[in-house]
Amino acid sequence: MMPETVLRIQGATIGFEKENPLLVDVDLELKPGEIIGVIGRSGIGKSTLLRTIAGLLPPLSGQLDAPAGIGEIGYIPQRLGLVNHKNVGYNVMMGALTRAPLWQTLFSLPGLELRQSARAAIEAVGLSDKVLDSISQLSGGQQQRVAIARSMVQKPTLLLADECLGELDSETAKEIIELIQKLAKEDNVAIIIVDHNPVRVATFCDRVLHVKGIHIEEVDV
Amino acid sequence: MKILQHLQKRPSLIVSSVIAILAILVSNKLGLNIDNLGQAWDNATILWAEMFPPDFSVVTERASWTQTECTWEADWACSAAIHGLSETIQIAFLATLFGMLLSLPLSMMAAHNLSPIWLSTITRNFLAGLRVLPSLVWALIFVIMFGPGPLAGVLAMTLYTVGYLGKLQYEALEGVSRHPLEAARAMGLPRWQIARYFALPEASNAILSQILFMFEYNIRHGSVIGLVGAGGIGWYLNNYLGIFSRYDRALALIIVIYVAVVIIDQISLSIRHRFMDSETHAPRARWREILPFFSTREVQK
Repeated sequence: MMPETVLRIQGATIGFEKENPLLVDVDLELKPGEIIGVIGRSGIGKSTLLRTIAGLLPPLSGQLDAPAGIGEIGYIPQRLGLVNHKNVGYNVMMGALTRAPLWQTLFSLPGLELRQSARAAIEAVGLSDKVLDSISQLSGGQQQRVAIARSMVQKPTLLLADECLGELDSETAKEIIELIQKLAKEDNVAIIIVDHNPVRVATFCDRVLHVKGIHIEEVDV
Repeated sequence: MKILQHLQKRPSLIVSSVIAILAILVSNKLGLNIDNLGQAWDNATILWAEMFPPDFSVVTERASWTQTECTWEADWACSAAIHGLSETIQIAFLATLFGMLLSLPLSMMAAHNLSPIWLSTITRNFLAGLRVLPSLVWALIFVIMFGPGPLAGVLAMTLYTVGYLGKLQYEALEGVSRHPLEAARAMGLPRWQIARYFALPEASNAILSQILFMFEYNIRHGSVIGLVGAGGIGWYLNNYLGIFSRYDRALALIIVIYVAVVIIDQISLSIRHRFMDSETHAPRARWREILPFFSTREVQK
């Protein structure tokens, strides 16, 4: 049965030092298939919020209940977090590591099901002809697609995407947004996406949160 | 007073003067003086007269007193220079291979970004312990334990390689961008998978380069450990300088070592250039790039 809430944060303080927190009184609930956009000026704590939800930083105080199982959280950092020295196929397959049996990961021998799901994801993001291309040979937009394909293979319950639309042109950004929406609607993945463009976020997010100072406010979409 | 004012304006002059006075005092304490240098010059003149011209028969004549058996028919292949050099290269090859196999997992355990602090601290201290003694001292220890020969050389250089390469490798792993590692950590992957599938490919070009450097370094050091009986060309050099007192042949061996080191340096450098990262391009980490004749990039051209 699908859980009603994927993420619940209550009265959390986010940051690095208790004396100088970045965000206070953070309350947030996220349902499966829901897309939340987070906006706010640079350096205000949006990425730190995502890293805290991802389990990379502990909250300074308050309660944070996020999925804790292997592969339940997908995280696309600001610079995408791809293995630059490897090709597209390898990077997408990395999403399957969480589901692969131990013997397959020990000997780098992914099973047929995992290879098929990676191939399907690469096709879905339109990179079938780039499977063997090195990441450093791809454009920014193509790299974003690889990161999304990795998350599609991973099938997380919660996906955290930090500025994954970056400075893309409107056409490429639209394609990436369609992929994100597909992930939410078809696979029921809850998504939090940080973006600096409030107009763009309002077009595809169910809710938008605005980080102002040390507080988060929900804004009307 | 004027001198003091002048010195205050130029603090570098004070530092230089202090260093110069210190150097004179230390030289005096160690008993270094001009008389010693004069004596050394006389000895050098005698040595040079006996060394020159170098006797290159060490490259052409079969050496009947090789440390390990030489089965080649050609005399030059069993000469002191060629047999000794080939033994040195073989010792260096095995030591680099064994050293790499042992240092790779240790370097992953020593990297702060891949291991818990307690494990990385223990592993770093262990690697530092292996580096405390130079390979020459390790060679002496193993010659005492196993007797003279290449085995002592391989073991000595393997230990030193583990300590040295392990440090270079954990530094390369720590230099990897944190973004792929964070993505993997958020996915909930265990540490060994993060190291194996995310950190290692990102650092592999640097690691490959370091392994080649280590091989080149081991060939140079392989010449030295032979001086204490641990096999290789150094053993022949030691005998020509010691028991045989054939300085002309020793000079010929030194020239052979120099030429071999220069050639190996150049080969190693040109191979390393094939997969070094540049500011605009991060080439894919491919082990076959080490083999210049099997590179797919060359075939595609």
